Amino acid sequence: MGEKLLTISEAAKMLGVSIDTLRRWDKKGTLASLRGSASGYRYYLEGDLLFFWNDLFKMAEDWVLKETGSEPHSDLYCQTNDVFQNRLIKLQNSLSCLTNLAVPFSLIVALIGEVGNNSFDHNLGSWRDIPGIFFGYNLEKKYIVLADRGQGILTTLKRVKPSLTTYAEAMQTAFTEVLSGRAPETRGNGLKFVKNIVIENQLKFFFESGDAKLSLEHGDTSLDIAEKIPLVHGCVAMLQF
Amino acid sequence: MLIQVKKFGTTLSSRPMGKEAYAAFLPVLREIGKEEKVDIDFDGVIVMGPSWADEFLTPILRQYGDRVSLLNTKNPSVKATLELLIPPSPQASS
Repeated sequence: MGEKLLTISEAAKMLGVSIDTLRRWDKKGTLASLRGSASGYRYYLEGDLLFFWNDLFKMAEDWVLKETGSEPHSDLYCQTNDVFQNRLIKLQNSLSCLTNLAVPFSLIVALIGEVGNNSFDHNLGSWRDIPGIFFGYNLEKKYIVLADRGQGILTTLKRVKPSLTTYAEAMQTAFTEVLSGRAPETRGNGLKFVKNIVIENQLKFFFESGDAKLSLEHGDTSLDIAEKIPLVHGCVAMLQF
Repeated sequence: MLIQVKKFGTTLSSRPMGKEAYAAFLPVLREIGKEEKVDIDFDGVIVMGPSWADEFLTPILRQYGDRVSLLNTKNPSVKATLELLIPPSPQASS
């Protein structure tokens, strides 16, 4: 299966990116194509694409594990919320064309929007080093990844709930209580919304911040929060649909 | 008054966009009569999340409360967002 040769449009469809993006990646060496010598057309080995895109979560996790950050690849990086909103609409358009989704695409987009918006809303002006978020997805494998090098969930929530001492407590609070890290504003619904959608639909959601890791899926009645090491600098999230 | 939410966009996600929508619409909201009903129509909305809705809808609901009717709320993201922002009242759930 991995040796199957794909045209550039087939490869673009599989990865959920545009043909122009693939051309750019080819030029930069991010994802090299095979060129037919006579035609000059670009072809891709299916196995190369799978290898390239399978590691999106690892790429994002590596990004938030590093002590010192650097900008992610431009196609996976939204420096500002405006860029994120544009790419969210692009994701929405791609998802709306898929006929094999078990969950309404509007719920997936709304959920991802909340996770990404949270990063911007809580870290604007306080990013650890790199402003903005990592945002990538693989529509073939049906997963979406987001990450930020922000303050992390404990620092953010401790401002309004000083009794919090661990990332696990902060994560429990974030996903169950209406409590905003932007007091005196009363909002703080975003991650409750995420939790509700995941447990009511055929979805799996992973969220890491600091030394806490949440795994949540359809039908869960409580939060599964475990300790993880090494420390995540900010947050990283993955939705499988 | 009829508020057609799709006129603010069909993908309604971020707080800054919700805040801007509310600020831009405020002069129109001020024209609502003292006893006038307010219909908020979600027809045509593709995606709506609680961040946008909290900035746009929450202040309208707070101000006009029981005069507000929410129409065409079947879109799954609209439905999920409204359920979160407007928990069923004790009366409605009993």
